[in-house]
Amino acid sequence: MTQPTKPSRRGFIKATGAALAAPYVLTSSALGNSVRPPASDRIVMGGIGIGNMGSGDMGAFLGRGDVQYVAVCDVRTGVRDGAKNRANEHYQNQDCKAYNDFRELLARTDIDAVHVATPDHWHAINVIEACRHGKDVYCQKPETRTLHEGPLMVDAARRYARVVSGGSQRVLEDYRGIVDACWGGSLGTVKSINVNVGPLSQPCYLPAEPVPADIDWELWLGPALWAPYNKARCDGNFSTGGGSWRSYIDYSGGGMTDWGAHHFGGATFAVDVRDQQPTEVIFNQDPEGNYLTYKYASGMTIYHNKPKTENLKVEGTEGQTREPKPVPSYKGEGGIYGDFIHCVKTREKPFRDIEYAVNTIVLSHLGIIAYQLQRSLKWDPVKQEFPGDEEANRLRDRARREPWTL
Amino acid sequence: MNSIMKTQELEQAFEALKTFDWGGDRNVLAPIEQAVVSSAKDAAAWKDLEQKLLAALGGNLNRAGKDFVCRQLILVGSGASAAVLSKWLGSAEDAQLARFALERIPGSEVRQVLIDALSSVTGDQLLGVISSLGARFEPESIPALTRLLSDANEKVAVAAVSALGDIRSPEAAKALGGVKPTSDAVRAAITDARMSCAEGMLAAGKSAEALMIYKSLTGDDQPKHVKLGATRGVLACAGKK
Repeated sequence: MTQPTKPSRRGFIKATGAALAAPYVLTSSALGNSVRPPASDRIVMGGIGIGNMGSGDMGAFLGRGDVQYVAVCDVRTGVRDGAKNRANEHYQNQDCKAYNDFRELLARTDIDAVHVATPDHWHAINVIEACRHGKDVYCQKPETRTLHEGPLMVDAARRYARVVSGGSQRVLEDYRGIVDACWGGSLGTVKSINVNVGPLSQPCYLPAEPVPADIDWELWLGPALWAPYNKARCDGNFSTGGGSWRSYIDYSGGGMTDWGAHHFGGATFAVDVRDQQPTEVIFNQDPEGNYLTYKYASGMTIYHNKPKTENLKVEGTEGQTREPKPVPSYKGEGGIYGDFIHCVKTREKPFRDIEYAVNTIVLSHLGIIAYQLQRSLKWDPVKQEFPGDEEANRLRDRARREPWTL
Repeated sequence: MNSIMKTQELEQAFEALKTFDWGGDRNVLAPIEQAVVSSAKDAAAWKDLEQKLLAALGGNLNRAGKDFVCRQLILVGSGASAAVLSKWLGSAEDAQLARFALERIPGSEVRQVLIDALSSVTGDQLLGVISSLGARFEPESIPALTRLLSDANEKVAVAAVSALGDIRSPEAAKALGGVKPTSDAVRAAITDARMSCAEGMLAAGKSAEALMIYKSLTGDDQPKHVKLGATRGVLACAGKK
């Protein structure tokens, strides 16, 4: 298969020099204008996983004048063809191509960046492969399916000097009041914050249904254990109560990771531990409901589902104030998407740099394991292991169905 | 609930497991899941559970039943599971289930059955075994993986290269340094694996060894992102960010 090849920015002039010798009409679209840079200066993008959140992400990037959207990938025929048509109607051309297999999209050397919104069990493979192919990546939350995947995604981003952003826009945009109170110093020294989120995902033994003609079922499953098709197993809605893939353990951590990425993300940002991971998770048995206490080496405490405590309730040294700190924010214009595109251009770290995103979702995974084993855990953030705890260490990762690997 | 009732429930669950299939009520198997967690600190109880689960596998379980058992073996599995599950490693249908449990069970028995499988398993199942050895960070598998680096099957060569990159030891780096890439895919995998090894060396304070790898990847013949990443690696070796 012949892949389109993108000239380098510097090589662009040389390449076009020869082309200009031939009769050629430069369109206004190619030349750009006050709000749309010339084609050579746009970030060329593709999308992997275009249903649901992927569709929203695509719309955000498609609406940017500094992005040229050229490729979509989805294992559902109707979804990818619809997305392709959407891009081509937007640009009034036929340049956007559709792919069933993300590896074909990543092989294109003309694509600078991709956004990933596949089901969670695919994220690590998609992101790491994209980095290996020199693409910058915007990845929907929750970024990982297992504890083991996070450091490998960070490694891949750093190894190839890629810009990789996590995908929760709520971290900055939804909890601003709490963030401002914590960073502004009005709560004094912040001691703890509570996160209410759930439930956990479950194994799935839904009955087999005929596989519809418009889905590549083997590729949808990918690295997950083989299982028969069932609409509720792979439906794209946001249910964590049995109506979609977010309910099931092979593809998602359930609400604990799905909304957990937002709430834990907001909590770790508010109490300023985005660059850390906890060292201990205490499993508390309580008549009102079991809950967790995460302890950080810095002294910070995060609770999960603490009884009678509202979501993102902060405990500080009331009556005292502290010097305010400037609150980090997005760069560029256009929210979290604009932040990513700005960083693709400048090579800065995005607001939801993959390392911060991984440090957030670690809380969800540690919590899942603590609830599963119904006991407290020690965690070594450097070695990424449960010290001396063979049982918990077995749950750090899960084998991937051949031929898939990280 | 007293222990007699618990034992009865467990026996009923194992009986239900014999015919459990897709669409079945998972709640009938819940006593097994509960026993796995509640007896975690009781070595004899875990051993007994493992034996019961392996005995069930020896019967004629449906695919969903095998799936359920292998999920439990992740926690209670031991060397005894290695002997049983190793028979599935070449099976197109069951190898993924075997590795689903085996990859997470520590110990020399599992390591050895995976290394042995490198010379007996083929196709995608071989790729899976190679991947599992990498995921387990098994240095003892380096000689066997090294022999696969020049495999005529590109996918096997790439998988072996990647597994050595996962193990990321100086020995793995040495093995990778001697590979002559036979295709672009193998070349890219070698680059990735060598950089992974360099990161491991750097983290272990062996910056001189890491520097040699990074310097070899900064040439103009390298893709832009490789050259950029390797250049940052060179700076990191010099203590600069």
